Amino acid sequence: MAILKLDNICFSYGETEVLKDISFEFESGKMYCITGKSGAGKTTLLSVLSGLAKPTSGDILYDNKNIKKIDRYRFRSKYIGVIFQSYNLITKFTALENVVLSMEIAGVKGIKKKKKALELLQSVELDEKEANRRVLHLSGGQQQRVAIARALSYDPEIILADEPTGNLDGETQNEIMNIFKALAEKGKCVILVSHSPSIANCCDVNYELKKINA
Amino acid sequence: MYIIKNALKCIGRSKGRNILIGVIVFVIALSACLGLSIRQAAESAREETLKDLKITANISFDRNAMMSEIGAQREEGQKFDREQFSEKMGKMSGLTLEEYKKYATAETVKDFYYTVTTSLNGSDGFSSVTTETGENESTANNSAAPEMPAETRGNKGVGGFGRGGIGGGMQGDFSVIGYSGENAMTTFLEGTATINKGSVFSEGTENYDCIIPSELAEFNSLSVGDSVKITNPNKEDEAYTLKIVGIYTDSSANESGTGFMGMTASDPANQIYMSYNALSKIIAASEKNATTESNETTGRESSTKLNGQLNAAYVFSNVEDYEQFANDVIEMGLNENYTVSSSDIEAFENSLIPLNTLSRLAGYFLIVILLIGAIILIVLNIFNVRERKYEIGVLTAMGMKKFKVALQFLTEIFVITLAAVILGAGIGAVVSVPVTNALLENQVAAQSDRSERIEQGFGRGQKPDSAKTEMQSPPEDGSFNPFGAFMGTNNQNAYVTEISSAMNFTVLLQMLLIGILLTLIAGAVSMLFIMRYEPLKILANRD
Repeated sequence: MAILKLDNICFSYGETEVLKDISFEFESGKMYCITGKSGAGKTTLLSVLSGLAKPTSGDILYDNKNIKKIDRYRFRSKYIGVIFQSYNLITKFTALENVVLSMEIAGVKGIKKKKKALELLQSVELDEKEANRRVLHLSGGQQQRVAIARALSYDPEIILADEPTGNLDGETQNEIMNIFKALAEKGKCVILVSHSPSIANCCDVNYELKKINA
Repeated sequence: MYIIKNALKCIGRSKGRNILIGVIVFVIALSACLGLSIRQAAESAREETLKDLKITANISFDRNAMMSEIGAQREEGQKFDREQFSEKMGKMSGLTLEEYKKYATAETVKDFYYTVTTSLNGSDGFSSVTTETGENESTANNSAAPEMPAETRGNKGVGGFGRGGIGGGMQGDFSVIGYSGENAMTTFLEGTATINKGSVFSEGTENYDCIIPSELAEFNSLSVGDSVKITNPNKEDEAYTLKIVGIYTDSSANESGTGFMGMTASDPANQIYMSYNALSKIIAASEKNATTESNETTGRESSTKLNGQLNAAYVFSNVEDYEQFANDVIEMGLNENYTVSSSDIEAFENSLIPLNTLSRLAGYFLIVILLIGAIILIVLNIFNVRERKYEIGVLTAMGMKKFKVALQFLTEIFVITLAAVILGAGIGAVVSVPVTNALLENQVAAQSDRSERIEQGFGRGQKPDSAKTEMQSPPEDGSFNPFGAFMGTNNQNAYVTEISSAMNFTVLLQMLLIGILLTLIAGAVSMLFIMRYEPLKILANRD
């Protein structure tokens, strides 16, 4: 059963149509790749999926509930974890603080947030020393791991990642992809947005976006 | 809770910017604290002084009212009716001691005393200290112009009347003042006058005991135990012998020693003090032996009796009592031609002029500082929010609601403002008193210079420097000498020159309100910007 369903989604920036009648389904425990050429609307679709942008028309169903009926902030902070292409971390905070803050925004209760955050960071192969470093002082790969840990911090069902390996070297790319695979194996729905064929090959399902008027 | 934690973390992580905001708020807070403290000090000084102000009032004839009444009766183009005025004035007699005493029974009167003053000549070598030279030298026989005794000058209206109804008479060389009791001898109570030799006459005595100024004693080589002969200036063969029981020095008399040219009896060096009863006895004896003559030219009658001028003073604990008394005496039957007046109130208001001026300036300064401060804070906050636009985008993209982001920003500003306000208020509390006193000193100096220039412009008030300095300090007990007001205008310069405390709970509360107000103003602008931001746009632009 689909955890996330797009039903005839259309999106346009003013007069410019970017997405038209997109209907995709995403299930838990699978890795999806949304591919397409530059300007095909991959990042826009990710924004729509994450609730950052409202579709011009069409519905998005999360666990069969229309997300229009769910508070968008709540949807972003609890049900979906987004890993942005440029990570979008709070640069003045440490890696640990970024993860803890994410849990606090999501309203996670009943656990020791700092301990849990540290475990998450360790699960993406960042040690305690690195965890207590300000994110500005971390490498691109390390920042990507922090962004993943942050996305996982409130245990969402869906993980969205925009070009997750775009800024990384080959070895790090593999490590990151292994983390996503492991997440899918644990039952998460992992949706990656990429134009890289190698990433598409790693995924269970590929959706290709085509540029409108192309 | 995490909003506060986050805010505190952000404050610590952006030290430079926050220190800058803190310094600006601190300067605003310190300035505001000084402004508020000055205003508070002025208010406190007024309240405290009013609370403890011992007010002395007199009942006097309201000449202005009578002139207005006569003036109102004339028709257009008609001159002021001098004859009617003289006639009315002639009919007016001063209140009797019994009347004065009747009004003293009013509940609000705390103390009551009275004096009688008359003018006498010296005899048998007892002569007045004269300040004149050559042919104008004052002697017992050549000072013809009747002068009001020194203590009546400056009094509103006609400060008292010779008892009897037939006016005229010669002015003597000495002013002899009879006091009802020691409470009436205010110069001694305030310490400006002291007995150097001997002692004061017994209170209420009918013996002709007197105390004389040291200058007069020196001038006539007199000492305690000696007797002097004084005569009625209208009737040279009417003589009285006074026994000197004490010699006194009056420091306030020295300050004005140059101002009595041509007024020998008004010179403090020629003032003889005795008991009211004793002087009344002399006046009564004079009345008994008086002869009346009629002027052939004018037809007016003149008597040889001594004119005794009665002055009574009522003392009140506070202004309310004084105001109540003014109403009470009317109910008790005081004629409408009389008025209750006190120079203490005017002196009190004058004493606060520099402080009130400073307070007013502080008020303007406060408004300007708060306006400028608010503008600076708004601008700084706009920069702050714009600089942290990306952070706002990330937080909202993570699912933090905009109002919570705004709340975090507001908390940051509030914490910085509060810390700066506390620091500003603390330092303000320490420096407010010396700063206020320093500013007040300038104000007093400016006000004194102004008053002095005015006085000089009118050809008055050439006083030695020492006198000026002393006059700027109010009496320690907050009271004003009732007779000081009669003796001249010096009390007009008795300004409040110092405040002891300026900061209090009210100022602290006002500071806190200012802090909150500044936070809200600055925070509202932040909130406006934050609510307008869309995370998608911010992050897309960043990408």
